[in-house]
Amino acid sequence: MSLLKTSLHEAHISLNAKMAPFAGYDMPLQYSSVKEEVLVVRQSAGVFDVSHMGEFFVNGPEAVAFVDFLITNDFQNAEMKKAVYSPLCREDGTVIDDLIAYKLGPEKVLICVNASNIKKDWEWINSKLGTFNCKLVNNSDDYSLLALQGPRAEALLKELNFKLPSDFPYYSIAELTHDGEAIIVARTGYTGEDGFEIFSGHNFAKKLWNDLLEKDVKPCGLASRDVLRVEVCYPLYGHEINDNLTPLDAGLSWTVKLSKNNFIGKSALVELKPKFQLVKLSLERGIPREGYEILNSTGETVGHVTSGTMSVVTGKGIALALVEKSKIPSDKKYSINIRNTKYEANLHSKAFVTGGHK
Amino acid sequence: MAHNIPAELKYTKDHEWAKIEGDTAIIGITDFAQSALGDIVFVELPEAGKTLDHHQTFGVVESIKSVSDLYSPLSGTVLESNKDLVNAPELCNAEPYGNAWMIKVKLKNPSELNSLLSASDYQNFLSSL
Repeated sequence: MSLLKTSLHEAHISLNAKMAPFAGYDMPLQYSSVKEEVLVVRQSAGVFDVSHMGEFFVNGPEAVAFVDFLITNDFQNAEMKKAVYSPLCREDGTVIDDLIAYKLGPEKVLICVNASNIKKDWEWINSKLGTFNCKLVNNSDDYSLLALQGPRAEALLKELNFKLPSDFPYYSIAELTHDGEAIIVARTGYTGEDGFEIFSGHNFAKKLWNDLLEKDVKPCGLASRDVLRVEVCYPLYGHEINDNLTPLDAGLSWTVKLSKNNFIGKSALVELKPKFQLVKLSLERGIPREGYEILNSTGETVGHVTSGTMSVVTGKGIALALVEKSKIPSDKKYSINIRNTKYEANLHSKAFVTGGHK
Repeated sequence: MAHNIPAELKYTKDHEWAKIEGDTAIIGITDFAQSALGDIVFVELPEAGKTLDHHQTFGVVESIKSVSDLYSPLSGTVLESNKDLVNAPELCNAEPYGNAWMIKVKLKNPSELNSLLSASDYQNFLSSL
């Protein structure tokens, strides 16, 4: 099967990006150096083409109620124009995907889902619609999505005359008209920094990409995006969460609102005890990678690395890892098996890097 | 992009280079390899005294996002490994043929030298990729 291309594919090729298949798309991994791309997002601003991600709209009188029923986090009580991060679970509590639901209006919800799960999510959500009075639209192919991330992001959009709401905090959304085109701007991202995700038509995205590059915004690829999200300990579907795990297994109990009205998975999640605990580990030397074993102080395997990389900001190897609940050592001492050598790890209670979003 | 391929060195299709000096070889990774890997942030090399077979893994080089094995282009005994790379792995990007040499090996079977590529052979190999 040939790979899909985003509207910015030619732009990536002309910038000599290193390309790789991701979720069926030919996507840019990096343009210059992963290190530089991570640092520019932490210190200034970078732009990512994340048009591969999926956009579903739920429209109608019961749009909010339906989304609230679908997801484990509280959407009903979220304020208008707010974004809510949530797992999407099956009845048995296992995770189909994680997503952001945006309350655009009392009868209009945008759901942004992982590219690799678009088909699975779309079929699932349709199968659960039942008698809810709302309509579902999959607009994934109609939207490009640029993520402008970093402390300079707000100033840059203002320089480009985007009419952002005066009160526009992190995790909120606005529908704007810019250059005559209706677009959606969300103050969200996957880097831990302040930033915006701009949903628009394809030609608008191409122009915005060029406008941002002319303002010396650095194009950034999926490799730096992954380092950025591991540094701030954001989960990634297929790594920290998957079809066989529940949100409780991956440290996402804060996104499961058992007190809210009925939602899919509630009865299972009320009863279930987590099988795993997500731990954050760093090494003084060596780089943890996905799949490496987590050992206790006697050398027994107690879990596995789910995401590992070198942190650009701290200069240390960092890992998110799932440890079996029944094997959590009382001394909290972990090491990581790298090519049959034990590397003692530091256990972190907070993210490795504190992002700058407000 | 054109890559630096010094004429006096020998090469492998795994993108290692070898500088032959009598019965010893100095071994490292090529300019193409460092450029393909990107920012190199970790290097693991064998201790002196380790014996290596032709094509045996002798170490690991890691970029931020990837792990790559290093393959010995020749069989022999490690005389010395470059300890500077432990603390300054970024040298592999900056000076792949200079200060980022990786190991010195006492050759066991000099006839293996015939299996290595010349600079022009390696250039042709890169063009075919």
